[in-house]
Amino acid sequence: MGNLLEIRDIHTFIGQFHILQGVTVEVPEGSIVALLGRNGAGKTTTLKSVLGLTPPRRGQVILDGQAIHGRRSFDIAAMGIGFVPEHRAIFRDLSVAENLKIAERKKGDFERKEEMIFGLFPDLKRLIKLPGTNLSGGQQQMLAVARALVPDNKLLLIDEPSEGLAPVIIEQMMVAIKKLSAESTVLLVEQNFIVASKLAERYVIIEEGKSVKQGLMADLVNDKETIHRYLGAA
Amino acid sequence: MQTSISTSAQRNGLAAFLKRNGSLIAIVLIMIALPFVVALLDGRPFSDVLANETGNAKFVQGLMIEIFILAIYAISYDLILGITGLLSFGHAMFFAVGAYGTGIMLKNLEWGILPTLGGIFVLGVLQALLFAVVLPRVKGITFALVTLGLASVFQIVVQSNEVGEYTGADVGLQGVIPPDFLNTSTERFHLYLIGLALTVVIYLVYRRFVDSPTGRVCVAIRENEDRALMLGYNTFYFKLAALIVSSITAALAGTLHTLHQPIVSPNVASLSYTVLALLIILIGGMGTLSGAMIGAAVFRLLEYFLDKQFSENASFILGLIYVLLVMFVPYGIVGTWQVKRLQIQQGRARLYEALGLRKKPN
Repeated sequence: MGNLLEIRDIHTFIGQFHILQGVTVEVPEGSIVALLGRNGAGKTTTLKSVLGLTPPRRGQVILDGQAIHGRRSFDIAAMGIGFVPEHRAIFRDLSVAENLKIAERKKGDFERKEEMIFGLFPDLKRLIKLPGTNLSGGQQQMLAVARALVPDNKLLLIDEPSEGLAPVIIEQMMVAIKKLSAESTVLLVEQNFIVASKLAERYVIIEEGKSVKQGLMADLVNDKETIHRYLGAA
Repeated sequence: MQTSISTSAQRNGLAAFLKRNGSLIAIVLIMIALPFVVALLDGRPFSDVLANETGNAKFVQGLMIEIFILAIYAISYDLILGITGLLSFGHAMFFAVGAYGTGIMLKNLEWGILPTLGGIFVLGVLQALLFAVVLPRVKGITFALVTLGLASVFQIVVQSNEVGEYTGADVGLQGVIPPDFLNTSTERFHLYLIGLALTVVIYLVYRRFVDSPTGRVCVAIRENEDRALMLGYNTFYFKLAALIVSSITAALAGTLHTLHQPIVSPNVASLSYTVLALLIILIGGMGTLSGAMIGAAVFRLLEYFLDKQFSENASFILGLIYVLLVMFVPYGIVGTWQVKRLQIQQGRARLYEALGLRKKPN
């Protein structure tokens, strides 16, 4: 199967800081690819560069054969990319229902996906009228993921889905991400290596703004030296 | 059959409207009755109100018209700052363009009231487009400073002698004669009712706007513009929509100001007039819409009573009250009430649950 997303040697600056200094990532269609690396390595900036929020100055981003670098963020999102940002980025002043409805790209998107979304996250159905600010951390993360499921997306970019969550919620989140990968390709940023290794088929390691290693997750799991060297885990 | 269904739907719609707006309807009825009640307390006949006789009833109507003007002006600021999160320091210009525009169209151009209102509508759209030119380039405090710059230029222009023939330069615009049925001296009860109706209609339109999908996106932009962009929204158009609606509304408040006041001072284009709108929505509750209404009433009534009681020290006491309000009612009157009400509802639900009186609410 071909690549749905190709990030080719991108260089991104934030202000005068050269954050990404050559990141290359290939995301085959229908797969889950994990971006791994230490804090501050450039994983989140890579996702934001794909979306044009921190546009790359050099390099290419190709989605489904089309170059998307240089386009505006809302145009890129409208091409079928869903983003679940870190820190449970919901709209806290909007209700659960409004958070989901606002993600519609076509009228009726939410109604069509309602059953699937509430099947994955039954809690959200019970909380539908509550403002986002009243949800717990885990519920907010569920809502952030659910919101990305409302429109038809070819690609989901998910940033740190397990960050700060209780183990039981992490389990639920992992089940949900596995299920939704049946419909969308997923590029995942995850600090928790155990979570990443259970979810992803492929990995890319980013170190100091450069992609330094990539391959099959099954191989990485047995490569203790690489894990220790780049991820600091034993 | 279709007729009966639609009649029933209309009845249900009306019933829902009345139920949802019970307090608003009660306030409107009280406001309509207010001049008559004041006349009664004054020992004057009701006919005095209709005959525009001088007295407390006429004075109260004047005070209330000032509150309506402030309320419309403040709600327009709440839309861009409290709902959409656009900090503008030049909002006074929106009001001043309406005030000066109305005066010039009525006095110098000798237009009737309807063409004048049309002209104000066009000016409202144009000045919003002027502000929007910088929208894609600057954000936050930079946007605030650019808008302050635009408003300052406008204030300098209206104060300059070159256009003094139209604006009255430093002295201000005087001698505007409104149409008879809107004349605050001879037909104050008309202007009072029109001001009341305009305030209520604008409030309802704003509430509808905020509850609409466009309004929800404006709230999302206030919370985090990048997140709204990531959902595929071109946020520029939503901010532009909010600016246009706000600008037209503030200009309408300016029109009412010119119809009611004998003079349009250049002060209405100054930074202090923008701060006035900010103060009102801080008192009432930012982003609540009804807070702008309540804030305007609290602000003007406090100002009036303190002025009456402590003429020289009124400003000091007023300032002190504002500091205390911001310290102890940080979300404003309506905002704090909404927070407390939610806490009470949640506490009650937990109590019922603990006592086993009711199932956990779904």
